[in-house]
Amino acid sequence: MLRIYVHSLPVRIWHWINAAACVMMVLTGIQIRYVGLVNVVSFRTAVTVHNWIAFILIANFFVWFLFYLFSDKIRIYHPELNPMKHFHRTVRQIIYYGYGVFKGDPNPHHLSLYRQFNPLQSMVYQIIMLLLLPIQGFTGILLWDLNRFAGVVTALGGVRVVDTVHVLVFIVFAFYIPFHAYLGTLGRTPIEKFKAMFDGYEEIEEESAEGAE
Amino acid sequence: MGRNPIAIGAAAAAAVLALAGMIVSAPAAAAADADTQCLACHGSPGMEKQLAGGETVSLSIQGDSFAQSVHSVIGCTGCHANIDLASHPPAESPIGDKRAFSVAMVQICRTCHNDQFAQWQQSVHAALVSEGNPVAPLCTSCHSPHAVIKGAAEEMDTVPCKTCHDDIFTAYATSVHGVLRSSGVTAAPLCFGCHGAHNVSVPSAGQGLKDVCLGCHTDARASHRNWLPNAELHFDVVSCPVCHAPKAHRRVDLVLYDSKTQKEVSEPSGVPEFESATGSATAPRTGLDPQTLWTLLSKLNGAGVEGKTSLKGRLDVSTGVEAHELAGSAAAISDCDTCHRAGAAAFQSVTISVAGPAGIPISYGASKEVLSSAISIPSVGGFYAIGGTRITFLDILFVLALLGGFGLAIGHLALRVAFKLYLKRKPQQQGKG
Repeated sequence: MLRIYVHSLPVRIWHWINAAACVMMVLTGIQIRYVGLVNVVSFRTAVTVHNWIAFILIANFFVWFLFYLFSDKIRIYHPELNPMKHFHRTVRQIIYYGYGVFKGDPNPHHLSLYRQFNPLQSMVYQIIMLLLLPIQGFTGILLWDLNRFAGVVTALGGVRVVDTVHVLVFIVFAFYIPFHAYLGTLGRTPIEKFKAMFDGYEEIEEESAEGAE
Repeated sequence: MGRNPIAIGAAAAAAVLALAGMIVSAPAAAAADADTQCLACHGSPGMEKQLAGGETVSLSIQGDSFAQSVHSVIGCTGCHANIDLASHPPAESPIGDKRAFSVAMVQICRTCHNDQFAQWQQSVHAALVSEGNPVAPLCTSCHSPHAVIKGAAEEMDTVPCKTCHDDIFTAYATSVHGVLRSSGVTAAPLCFGCHGAHNVSVPSAGQGLKDVCLGCHTDARASHRNWLPNAELHFDVVSCPVCHAPKAHRRVDLVLYDSKTQKEVSEPSGVPEFESATGSATAPRTGLDPQTLWTLLSKLNGAGVEGKTSLKGRLDVSTGVEAHELAGSAAAISDCDTCHRAGAAAFQSVTISVAGPAGIPISYGASKEVLSSAISIPSVGGFYAIGGTRITFLDILFVLALLGGFGLAIGHLALRVAFKLYLKRKPQQQGKG
């Protein structure tokens, strides 16, 4: 087994802030939306916490964005520039999660310094970070001060339209977060991936390391 | 353009009397003598006259009251300058009906009270008079011309508004404003303090009234910002009594609004969906459902139509009476949960308003589902209260997403465990075989 340092400290700090903030945003979002059904904290407290965490999340997004934009680490999201190869690897990964993993087949993705994510992970993370999170941040800022952004809100079809988009993305996150946590248990041991996100090290088969592209 | 002979006569008489009053005091006595002459007949109780239209008009004036009134200075002829004693009373009454006479006599008041008249002309009362409303107030409706006492309109007991708006005044009298006013706090507003004395505006044009509230409560914006998230939005969308009349019933008023002119649109006559859903004088009103509302707006915004008609939502109290049941700030609703929860009372009643005659909105009922239906996302885009008017379809999606997120994980995990057990057992069985 080979131990490689995959997740640098800034990435780990960013990840856990992002994870905690996203979970809190969903939880406070549930409290805000379902007052009466859920009564953990008051509506006002939930709104205040939701707003503050939102700004932390937005700032954290820019940490992520600038870190990857201005470092060679951006390659981890696009290790394969050939679309056909990327497609085949994606299909292989889907077959593994949908069938191979039950039989005990080896994971077709071989982790290396610049191949941290399997093709599915890479695609999903980019959809979340470059599409859903910006949409959520943008609609959230509009909802945070509707009067200040009244012109934009009206141009987009009104507060109900903006809120509907915000809630739809919230629903995607409500689906994704528990499933993401579960996928984290699909390492060689259930806690391997979680541990790696704390200490930065992943263990890989030596053969994999040699065969890694 | 012809001039009103009554007005000219009155103006002349008023000018002469005013001038006389300035020069010597003797003419005042003369005027009093003239009044005495009039009161010799008109001071008799029960003096009345049958008009051509069959109405009976009282011609009796209480001499004492008139003597104490501010109009005693100008005397009877100050207003009734057209009376020619030589031919009075005329053989045939020049007055057709009481209302027409009162409307014509408004011009007499204008002679001296031109500023107030100009203000009145801008009011909802004048607009109603123009519409031909037979009970819309004229000058004399509020200011009894033969018994006008200075300041009477500013007293709780004699304020004229309550003559027509008695139920509203009763609510006002027990409100924080009414109680303070009764106890002698003149800073507490009486009717005219908020609605204007002569330029009375349409009360349900809430935005204007909000500004009136803030006119006295100058620190209200700042104090609300200290605790109320999105305070400015609340100021725009929620009328003050919604929170400050805590016992009032609330409703969502969706106003048909032209985004180009920034004004309410009038009743969309000729749009079948609107007429069939809102009913008519003979048909009961069933209220607009989400689908009909969507169709209605689509029709109004059809191809070639300039300016987009949309709905501007506002949370208001149900009635004008309730709007006056204002409580002290300590009793005001400050709990967000009152509205921001499913099933909140505020969202159980919905109206669609259009601009009616004289600018007075006409409200039609709508089903409360227009606030929670996915179909309403584009049509009621301008009104949304988090938690209170959430869209049911999104709630279903959320539950499915949670079930999917956790269910997929649990299902996948269960399959992994099951396969693991199966694969573990299989070699053993093969070994036994």
